[in-house]
Amino acid sequence: MFNKILIANRGEIAVRIIRTCREMGIKTVVVYSQADEDSLPVRLADEAVCIGPAPATQSYLLIDRIISVAEIGDVDAIHPGYGFLSENARFAQICKECKIEFIGPTAEQMSAMGDKASARETMRKAGVPVTPGSNTVVPTEEVALEEAHKLGYPVIIKATAGGGGRGMRVAHNDASLIQGFHAAMTEAERAFGNGDVYIEKFIGNPKHIEVQILADKFGNVVCLGERDCSLQRRHQKLIEESPSPSISAALRKKLYEAAIKAAKAVGYTSAGTIEFLVSGNNFYFMEMNTRVQVEHTVTEMVSGVDIIREQIRIAAGERLAFQQKQIALRGCAIECRINAENPYANFAPSPGVLTFYSAPGGPGVRVDSHVYAGYRIPSYYDSMISKLIVHAPTREEAIARCKRALDEYMIEGVPTTIPFEHFLIETPEFVAGNYDTTLIERLMKNGYFEQQSAIRKEIAK
Amino acid sequence: MKIDEIKTIVKLMSDNDLTEFKIESEEMTLCLRRAARQQTAPAPVFVPAAVPAASAVPIPAAVPAVQEPPRAVSADTGRASLNPAKVIESPTVGTFYRSSAPGAEPFVKVGSHVEADTTVAVVEAMKVMNEIKAEKSGVIKEILLENGQPVEYGQPLFVLE
Repeated sequence: MFNKILIANRGEIAVRIIRTCREMGIKTVVVYSQADEDSLPVRLADEAVCIGPAPATQSYLLIDRIISVAEIGDVDAIHPGYGFLSENARFAQICKECKIEFIGPTAEQMSAMGDKASARETMRKAGVPVTPGSNTVVPTEEVALEEAHKLGYPVIIKATAGGGGRGMRVAHNDASLIQGFHAAMTEAERAFGNGDVYIEKFIGNPKHIEVQILADKFGNVVCLGERDCSLQRRHQKLIEESPSPSISAALRKKLYEAAIKAAKAVGYTSAGTIEFLVSGNNFYFMEMNTRVQVEHTVTEMVSGVDIIREQIRIAAGERLAFQQKQIALRGCAIECRINAENPYANFAPSPGVLTFYSAPGGPGVRVDSHVYAGYRIPSYYDSMISKLIVHAPTREEAIARCKRALDEYMIEGVPTTIPFEHFLIETPEFVAGNYDTTLIERLMKNGYFEQQSAIRKEIAK
Repeated sequence: MKIDEIKTIVKLMSDNDLTEFKIESEEMTLCLRRAARQQTAPAPVFVPAAVPAASAVPIPAAVPAVQEPPRAVSADTGRASLNPAKVIESPTVGTFYRSSAPGAEPFVKVGSHVEADTTVAVVEAMKVMNEIKAEKSGVIKEILLENGQPVEYGQPLFVLE
């Protein structure tokens, strides 16, 4: 087992990794930018080393500095968290060459799945259903038009190196296709350094359902259930839950089988998530995330598995401690991502100082966060300040628990998305479990949120 | 008072960021003072009480400073009190060396005059030797690190007059 692990990340995921390392008796080193000097992970880690100024491109993304810290700190392994370098095959390769274990898949597995266009092709060959679309990158307008006509509108242009909902454009006709083609390429180039795009048939009103798997270096693959992540705003997930409230047992079984098939097709190791688009009884492979995800917590609640712990064990060359038949998924878990954004001002990011902070507790309530009273939220990184996860035996109880916990959550000094999430979980669509990826947009357009808030204010008077 | 008890007090002071601790008893007076935010634990000062003329109580030797496990690889010793205009900081992460090769003359010593483009040190990272330039002109007053020590981004290396 490793003696010391370097956490190449920040914020709540750095805290998450440090927590499991401490429980396993593994020493921790965290790298940080000057903006994160007072952050919680820096305070909790055994060692902390400053690697640059605030911008990620001058700190968290600098491979050489991170490896430097690993060398001077005599580190055995690096956990990349999510975002930053977690899906950077070159980084994984450099770690391997420097004899530092990268806690995640190999560079080859990452590349196979990271290139979205070729991942689709790999899945298609493995017998996993994929959304109809171009089998390779689309290099020119002409090819884009050809593909679009073959598939039939509407289509979606997507960045092959993309993620987090960026580098994507939907097109309903030739004109918007040309415009979207160029817009997606530019955005992709800027966000991921790779402007290549491919085209898929656009599935209207889909549900986004992803399946969590764990695979060791001995070929054992275990599925830990699905997460319904359809509640998204501008392609950013806001609320996730497990199990999905609206898929049949038969479809669920097919999704699990497809996910395991996908992982085995590339000989995958470590934690991974296969994302599917679900429309009616049809499901299509969308992409595979070769890293631990923000919402891994939801799966941890229903399965009882510590996913970070398993990642570390797998990286250290140990076998999975359980077989598929030993996995029992119990109850219902719901996660709300709490962002420092103002839901009354179009979710404008609002960094600042937390003047008051009190997190909820009690049975079935988990808070994964890196903030504390007096903490200054830096403006250089994403706006997520906390994850609130609730777990209960039934979905009805989980929703009640979620409402209760959101009410108990007191954050002052910056606006947060809490009021919006409270509103969301009370909508008839959410309660019925009958929602897709268009729900939030529709609710915002119809002004229901503002109406509800106004009513609440009146009642409170 | 036993050395273990003193060690416990020293750790308590450090954990709670206390600057002074004093205890008096018949046999002795113990006074511990530390500067806050320093890496090394305070050096205990053992002050024996007045000895009765009748019996000569042996005065214990000064207790050596207890080294705390480093909180961070860096030493933020008095960073707040240094004038940034007179400090040369590390622009990268790695191992600090004062000369270009083992056994070679150090680039600068205390009293050396430097210009903006004078090489003052080397920080080695992943087998690459990064020459650190002064970026300021002045005279070296203090060298804050030892040869071979790990250094982080922004860490002060030299103080100028």
